[in-house]
Amino acid sequence: MTNAGFVFDRISIFLTITFLFIGFISFLYALATIRQKGHRLEYYLMLFLIVLSGVGTAITTNLLWIFIFWEISTFAVWRAVVYYRQPEQISSGNVVFITNFVAAGLLLVGIGILYLDNNSLIVTEIKNFNISAVILITIGIFAKSVILPLYFWLVPAYASIPSAIGGSLAGIAENIGLIMFYRLFVNNPGIPENYFLIVGYFAVVSSLITGGSAYITNRLRYLLAYSTISQIGFILLGFSAGGFFGTYGAIAYILAHALAKSGLFYGVGTIEDITGEANIKNISCMLKVSPVLTVMMALLFSSLVGFFPMIGFFAKLMVVIGSVQKNILFGFFAIASAIFTLLYSDRFYHELFYGEKCDIREIKLEKKPGLIEIGVVFILTVLSLILGVSFYEILTFIGGI
Amino acid sequence: MNEVYLMLLLPVGCGLLGFLIKRLRNEMGFLGFIVTFYFALRIFLIFHNKTFAYSIASIAGIDFRIYADNLTRFILLFNSVFALLILLYSIITMRKSRGEDVYQLYLGLTLSGANGVVLSGNLFLMLIFWNMLVFALYGILLVGKKESVNAARKALTIVGVSDFILMLGIIIVYTIAGSANFPAEPLLSLNNGVMISAYMLLLVGAIAKAGAMPLHTWIPEAARVVPASTMAFIPACIDKLLGIYFLVRISYYLFDITQSLPVRMTLMSIGAITIVFAVMMALIQKEAMRLLSFHAVSQVGYMVLGIGTGIPLAVAGGLFHMINNAIYKMCLFLCAGSVEYRARTSELDHLGGLGTKMPLTMLCFLIAAFAISGVPPFNGFYSKWMIYQGIIELYKETNLWIIFLVAAMFGSVLTLASFLKMLHSLFLGERPKELDKVREVRFGMIVPPLILAFLCIIFGIFAEQIPLARLIYPSLPFFKIEPIGFWSAGLTTVLMLLGILIGLIIFIFGTALKPRKSKVFVGGEVLDTEEARITGPNFYSSVHNIDMLEKTYRFGEEGAFDFYNYLQGIFGGFGTLFREVINKFFVLVYNAFANIIISLGYVFSAVHNGELPGYLGWIFLGAIFIFILLAL
Repeated sequence: MTNAGFVFDRISIFLTITFLFIGFISFLYALATIRQKGHRLEYYLMLFLIVLSGVGTAITTNLLWIFIFWEISTFAVWRAVVYYRQPEQISSGNVVFITNFVAAGLLLVGIGILYLDNNSLIVTEIKNFNISAVILITIGIFAKSVILPLYFWLVPAYASIPSAIGGSLAGIAENIGLIMFYRLFVNNPGIPENYFLIVGYFAVVSSLITGGSAYITNRLRYLLAYSTISQIGFILLGFSAGGFFGTYGAIAYILAHALAKSGLFYGVGTIEDITGEANIKNISCMLKVSPVLTVMMALLFSSLVGFFPMIGFFAKLMVVIGSVQKNILFGFFAIASAIFTLLYSDRFYHELFYGEKCDIREIKLEKKPGLIEIGVVFILTVLSLILGVSFYEILTFIGGI
Repeated sequence: MNEVYLMLLLPVGCGLLGFLIKRLRNEMGFLGFIVTFYFALRIFLIFHNKTFAYSIASIAGIDFRIYADNLTRFILLFNSVFALLILLYSIITMRKSRGEDVYQLYLGLTLSGANGVVLSGNLFLMLIFWNMLVFALYGILLVGKKESVNAARKALTIVGVSDFILMLGIIIVYTIAGSANFPAEPLLSLNNGVMISAYMLLLVGAIAKAGAMPLHTWIPEAARVVPASTMAFIPACIDKLLGIYFLVRISYYLFDITQSLPVRMTLMSIGAITIVFAVMMALIQKEAMRLLSFHAVSQVGYMVLGIGTGIPLAVAGGLFHMINNAIYKMCLFLCAGSVEYRARTSELDHLGGLGTKMPLTMLCFLIAAFAISGVPPFNGFYSKWMIYQGIIELYKETNLWIIFLVAAMFGSVLTLASFLKMLHSLFLGERPKELDKVREVRFGMIVPPLILAFLCIIFGIFAEQIPLARLIYPSLPFFKIEPIGFWSAGLTTVLMLLGILIGLIIFIFGTALKPRKSKVFVGGEVLDTEEARITGPNFYSSVHNIDMLEKTYRFGEEGAFDFYNYLQGIFGGFGTLFREVINKFFVLVYNAFANIIISLGYVFSAVHNGELPGYLGWIFLGAIFIFILLAL
């Protein structure tokens, strides 16, 4: 059903449910962690705006609305990053704001050109794609959805943002550009094939480079940031590969990544809270502190890596099939990126939860992990598992079968 | 059809119930494994020379289907037999040990996954079960000593990476051929680079699972720290069955490698290198489990070599060797585990003289050791013999056959040498005083090795009548397999028994039973019995010091041949490049861009000085600018 630029098809419903759920989980986690840290009202407002922008983008086909939600998201993310008002956070916030603001400006010019050429802002009615408009909009999408070379703002953003809203940033805000790409370009006959090839290369190289960076870094938040950029690149690869496997794989991957990355964010946030440390070299043996968190994080990393029976397995498989069908080189790069994901997940998981000196007496804890923190990670893990086992139903729901 | 689902669900389901209801853990485990064995037997009997295919789901042209033929049915049967034996053994050995509560769950998960792999008639469905086994492997390896996490981590990485490579191979096959079902009709030919690449990618998955070089290094690492039952079940048995099963499937049911000599040469080279290098490493080991683990790797070489020849007899030999290896290698691991269980150590230097204390274990070990060394009439001899003959047949195609033959035979000789050392180390020679109280293991622990040792004999003496005629030859229906030369296992057995009888008579009536005992002197000093004891590792200690080998061994022990180190090094290098060079470059560009904006900000800030004349000046300049624009 399309009405005044809003669409309520299966995919928009699927994305809406995903974003609402991730927002709800963020809210739950915030109840336990954000209490003592002040500015609570602002926090919940920003969380609401991020969810609103995600849901809004998911259900609209009007470029103006997309732009409005886009800007709301930029504002909310910027405020979330500077939430603690520390100098380094303000500096990170500046990076976020400048990058996204400049990109939004270019996007707006691109939208304007499309409007002039097509006399409409509804994506389904846009048939003439001026090359300048396509380039400007693509730059905007790359900046919003952290694709090479405009991904660098996410690393300081992740380092500063409260864990509670970090999950929403990974699971909602960064998908806005991808959704726009899907709505505007995928399956649109006006777009030349070469465009998708070029975007595909950007996506896969972005995924590869940040996957490698994640493997090297020692900071927990940096790992999450690089990993997010890498996985978002994977999703964009799916969309640019197109076809049944690429497109539906990428949509399923949005869900898989949102669940896994939110869970990992909350898990890492919990570890940071209880140890007061942010560097992997200073943390080990978390297995002794929380066996439940150990198992949950193992499963979430498995989903990110793409091991059966987690949902990430099928989503990754579909994206790789789509990629190979498009271009065999995409497939090789995608697999290399997947191997990086395996390596950094393996490294971080084992160094965090096992490590060399596994003596409980040596672990200095600032506090014990709370029930809500563990519970939130548990919910996301179980859901990743259940949705993995019932992936056929997901595919049926989003209209893939 | 229900049997198939039950075979997939029962082992893991019962394992899960056993995990949740601790009091019924053993009962649930046995129930699941026995019922699975029953269904495997049913399928084995019903589907003789029949095929069965059933589609579960179809997504965009991918037909997720179950498929069973002669090859499936016998591997299914052995999967469940071996799992049952391991369960029986581990119930005693794992009691009150670390990870006891989850052990059977992982055993069940492994059996379910293994059955799933074998029952899949589509590469994608197989990949799902294959991937499930990564979980099972990682989990079961964690059940061991504290250090087992390192072995589990290594296994996860190596097997995980190979699974991704396998995934790519499957997708390429599907994309090019339009189907991922097997058997492929017609078989895919290796006539272009893409198809050869696809085959090679699938091959990586197969050899990583089977544990061939260079993807074997997690196996010796795990051997030090995980229970014997785990080693006996996973790397020695199930992984070999699945890896080699898959190799046969891709080589003869999906592709036709007989048409491509270079591909076969690659396979044979992997096989030959694996045989020689792994057995050379085994020769110098001082720890029983680690020594056996290198043999577990070495034996894969024979299978890959045999299957890689493309000669029907050797392919059948390779497949036969897969079953034989699972039988004797499990037996060896379980026997060594029994010794470790009683003696509390598996260091060969600290063991010896246990033959009189553990006679049944020694008997089983002896039979299995002869079998793996290729001594007739045991099963290992027969399959190796078939592979040798196949390699000789290869002379029609390449002159390199002699190299492969020498490698295979040399490996066999070193295997025998290595097991003589181990036999001496465990059961013969002087017994250390602290082992005086050692006694034979309990019934539940000796039954599995006895059954396996019995199978070593039966599959050797009646090789043609039972395993080859009923299991192996029907699994390769496209080959006309004819034995070359003459071999009568029955006659050989009779002659060998006669030889042993004569030896026994000489032993009993000779001087062997009346040894002269004397003290050991060195430089006029009487040596302590313990000090004078010659342990097994001394047998070949000089090998380690041979000029050419010394450095190779040292490099090997330091991890120079470890794929895992290279993987981490290469990807770590790329990671450093990406983060420290490319990433920093973009940050620099951003900073330059940001600095320009900030500088512009300063300029504009300076321009807005708050004084009226300044603003009037700007208005005047602006008016001139507009005027020029209009004039142009």
